[in-house]
Amino acid sequence: MKLTRRHFFKFMGAAGASVAALPSSASAWESKAPPDPYGCLVDLTRCVGCRKCEEACSEVNGLPTPERPNCQCTIFEKKRRPDEKAFTVVNRYFTGKLDAFDNPLPTFVKVQCMHCQDPACVSACIVGALTKDETGTVRYDVSKCIGCRYCMVACPFEIPAYEYHDPITPRVMKCTFCYDRISKDGGIPGCATICPTEALTFGKRETLLKVANKKLKDNPGKYIQHVYGEREVGGTSWLYISAIPFDRLNLPVLPDTPSPKLSETIQHSLFSYLWSPLALFGVLGAVMSKSNKTAEKQQNKGGA
Amino acid sequence: MRARPLNKKFWTPGVFVMLVFMIAGAISIIARFTGGIGYVTNLSNARPWGLWVGVDVATGVALAAGGFTTAALAHILGKHLYEPITRPALLTAVLGYTFVVLGLLVDIGRSWAIWKPMVNWNTNSVLFEVAMCVMVYLNVLYIEFFPIIAEQFKGRVNLPGLLSALNGLVDMILKIGDAILDKIMWIFIILGVVLSCMHQSSLGSLMLVAPTKLHPLWYTPILPLLFLTSAFAVGYPMVVVETTIATSSFKLDAEMNILTPLTRVTIFLLGIYLLLKIGDMVVRGTYVYLFDGNYQTNSFVIELLFGVIMPWVMLLFERVRHSRTGIFTAASLIVGGVALNRINVFIVGYQPPLSENVYFPAPGELMVTLGLIATLMFIYRFAVTYLPVLQAPKEVST
Amino acid sequence: MIKRIIFLVTCLILTPVLCVAEVWKAPDQERAKERAKEVVPFVTEYKNDDQITRRISLMDTGISIQDVTDTYFLLDSPIIKKREDHYEPVRFSHKRHANLTNDCSKCHHYRPKDDTALETTRCSACHQDSFNPDHPERIGLKAAYHQQCMACHQEQAKGPVDCKGCHLQNVPDHKELVNLPDNADPFQVTAECLRCHDTQAEDMLTTAHWLWKGPSPYTTGHRKDIMHGKGTTALNNY
Repeated sequence: MKLTRRHFFKFMGAAGASVAALPSSASAWESKAPPDPYGCLVDLTRCVGCRKCEEACSEVNGLPTPERPNCQCTIFEKKRRPDEKAFTVVNRYFTGKLDAFDNPLPTFVKVQCMHCQDPACVSACIVGALTKDETGTVRYDVSKCIGCRYCMVACPFEIPAYEYHDPITPRVMKCTFCYDRISKDGGIPGCATICPTEALTFGKRETLLKVANKKLKDNPGKYIQHVYGEREVGGTSWLYISAIPFDRLNLPVLPDTPSPKLSETIQHSLFSYLWSPLALFGVLGAVMSKSNKTAEKQQNKGGA
Repeated sequence: MRARPLNKKFWTPGVFVMLVFMIAGAISIIARFTGGIGYVTNLSNARPWGLWVGVDVATGVALAAGGFTTAALAHILGKHLYEPITRPALLTAVLGYTFVVLGLLVDIGRSWAIWKPMVNWNTNSVLFEVAMCVMVYLNVLYIEFFPIIAEQFKGRVNLPGLLSALNGLVDMILKIGDAILDKIMWIFIILGVVLSCMHQSSLGSLMLVAPTKLHPLWYTPILPLLFLTSAFAVGYPMVVVETTIATSSFKLDAEMNILTPLTRVTIFLLGIYLLLKIGDMVVRGTYVYLFDGNYQTNSFVIELLFGVIMPWVMLLFERVRHSRTGIFTAASLIVGGVALNRINVFIVGYQPPLSENVYFPAPGELMVTLGLIATLMFIYRFAVTYLPVLQAPKEVST
Repeated sequence: MIKRIIFLVTCLILTPVLCVAEVWKAPDQERAKERAKEVVPFVTEYKNDDQITRRISLMDTGISIQDVTDTYFLLDSPIIKKREDHYEPVRFSHKRHANLTNDCSKCHHYRPKDDTALETTRCSACHQDSFNPDHPERIGLKAAYHQQCMACHQEQAKGPVDCKGCHLQNVPDHKELVNLPDNADPFQVTAECLRCHDTQAEDMLTTAHWLWKGPSPYTTGHRKDIMHGKGTTALNNY
C-alpha cells in the first residue's frame, strides 16, 4: 500500500484542474419541456361515461377489448386504474351533486398518462428508454428498457403499468398519446377521435389552455376555477376542467414544482464533470500520503 | 499476527439450515423466471418496488458499508491498529455487493438486459449513477480482494485433472497481479471510498423524484446526506456484529482491543446521523406526524428510538464499550436501525397516492431474499474457512 | 281455357316489367338522405347574441312552426364519417321537436354574422370538423349533435340519452358471420350465437328471463301454477 509522491501529485493535478473547470451553470435547473407540445383538454362536465374512448384506445393500440365494452351497468362499481391491458379507463364518482329531480349526478373521469411537461419517469429512467418528444408525447422504447420499474416509482399519477406475468420480456405499458397518429399531420388520438361529446379536445397545449381559461371565465358558476395540469408538477400535456374539486375525483393534489427538479439539481451540482468525486479522491489521496509518511517516520525512528 | 484460514469443520448443523433456505430460494427463483415476477411476488402497478429492492438491494448496500469505512480508517487515515478487521469487512462487502447484483438480476424484469445502462446513459437518472457506481465498485472490491486469494494460492496452485497443465500459468498470473496491485492498490482503496460515498448517498436521492409518494417523515431534501451518514455510522457496527458472530461461531477470541476503540468512533458517527435526523425533523416540522399511531409512523418511531437513540446512549457508557455482549447488542441495534431505515424508505414509507394498496411480501419473495442471504452466509463461512480472512490469534477452547 | 292461357302469358310477360319498376320510396326520406350528404360552406364568424336576444330576434323575423318544411332530417354527414363510422345515422324528427320546444333558439343558438344568411342556418354550417385549430372554442358536428340532444333530453327528463336510444349500431352482415350446417338443430344454433355473444349470454343468466320463479299466467296449461318459470320448471335450451 505505497502511494508514491510522484503518482500522487500527478493525480492531484488532474483533480484540481477539473474542480477549476466546474461550470457555474451546473446548479441552475432548467425545464426540458418542448416549446409547443400537443395536449388534450378533458372537460369532465361533458363526459357521459360511454367508455368509447376505452374501446377506441384498445383498438388503436392493439390491446384486448375492454371488459364489457357495451355494458356500463356494473363496470363502474369498482374504481379501476389503467393497467398493462388498458391504457385508459373511465371511472364514475358520485360526489353528492344532484340533478333537477334530486337524482345523484355522476361525474365521469377518464384517466391516462398525463404526458407531463417535465416527466418524473423520463428523469428517472436509468437507460433513457422514456423520452419526452417534441409533440409532447412521453414515449417508451422497449429496446432500451431493463425493467427496473423506477419510472413506476417516480410517476406522481401512478400511470405506468407492468407486464408482471411475462418472465423474460415484460414491458412497461402506458398511454402512447397515439404518437404514430399525432406525429402525422392532422392526426388525432384514438380516444379524442371517438368521443361523442368532445369531452376530449385535442390541440396545441397553449391553445387548449386559452380555451380552458376562457371557459372558466365565461362560466364562473359551472366550473371549479382551476385548470388541472396547467401547473401541477410543472404542467402536463393533458388538462382537466371540472365542476367538482379534483381531489374528490382521485386526481391527486400535487405541487407546482416539477418532480425531477430536486433530484436533478442535486445530481448535477454534485456530479457534473465528476468534480466532487475527483475532489474527494484528491483529498483522500493527500490524507493517505500524509498518514503513510508519518507512519514511515515513526517506523524509522523506532528502527533507529 | 497475520490472518489465516481457519481450516475448521465446515459442515455444521447451521450450515445445513442455510442449505435448506438456499434450496427454497433457488426454487422461488426458478418460479420467477418461468412464471414472471407477478407469479412469485405481491408487487403491483401501484407498488413496483418491494422486498427485493428494499432489502436485497438497499439494505444490502447499506450493510456492506463496513468495507469502505474500515478501509478508510485503516489505510487512508493510517490507523493500522484496525487492519485485522479490514479483511472480514472487505469480504462482507465483496459478498454483499455480489448479492446486491444477484438480487437486482432477480428483481429487474429483463435480467438479460442488465448491461444496457452501460450503453444507454441517462445522466439525469439517479439510478443510473447508482448502477454505474455499484458496477465499478464491485470490480474495485474484487481487485481489492485479489491479494487475499493470491496470498493463499501463490506458489501452491494445484488445479485438478487436465487443468493441472495450467498450474504454472495461473500461478504466474497470481504473482504478477499481486506484484502490480501492491504498487497501485492505493488507487483502488481511495476509489472504493469515493464510489461508496457517491452511491450510498445517491441511494437516498432515488426517492427524491417522488415527493408525493414517500411519507413526509422520511422525504427530505437531505435524504442523500442521511443515507451517507447512516452508511458511515453502520459500517463499524456491522463489522462488530459479523466478527462477533463469526468468532463466537468458530469459538475464537473476540478482538476487544480493536472493537472497543471502534465503538468510540461509532459514537461520533452515529451522533452526526442522529443530529441530522432530529434536526431535519425539527426544521421541517414533521414531528407532528410522530404520534399518528399508524404503522408508518410507528415504524419511524421504532427506527429512531431503538435503531439510533438507544444504541447511541448505550455506547456512551464505558461499561458497555468494554463488554462483549454490550458492544454486540448496541451494534446489532444500529445495524437493525439502519436496515429498518432502508426498509422504511423503500417499502413502509412508500404510499401510492391513488390506489388503496397494502403490501406484504409474498412467500416467494421472502424465499428469494432469505435464500440469497443464506447463500451469502454460506459463502462467507466457506471463505473464512479456506482463505486468510480472519485473524485468529488464539482459540478459546477446542 | 284460352282466356286462362292468355292471362298466364300476360302475367309472365308483366312480372319482369313489374319487378324492374321502381319500388316506392318515401320522398322525405330521400330528401333527408340527399341533404345529409351536403357539406355547406363553413361559417367563420357568428353573432355572439345571448339567448334572450336571439329568441326575440327569431320571433321578430316571424318564423314559426309553419315554416318548418322538412318533417325529419338524417343526422349524418361526410364530416363525421371522415373520422369514424360506428353507428347508423340518427333519424331526427325536426318538426316534432320544433313543436315540442316551440322555441327555435334552443337549437339555433347563434346566427352567422353575415346578414344575408338564413336566420336558422343548419348546424353543419358552423360545426364541422373537430379540433379546428383556427376555431378552438368551436366543437365539431358530432359533438354538437350529441351535446345538444343529450343535454336537452337530460334537462327535460324526456327522450333517450343512451347510444341505442337514437342510433342503430352498424351491425355487420350476419350472413357472412354465421357458420351453420344445413338443417342445424337448436343446440347448434345456440352454440353458434354464443360463439361471439358470450357476454350477452352471461348477462342473460342474471335476468328474470332466466331466473324467474313465480306464476306464468300466459303459459298455456300452466295458468294457475304459482311456481312455474325459467328458474324452476320451464325449459330453456340456453
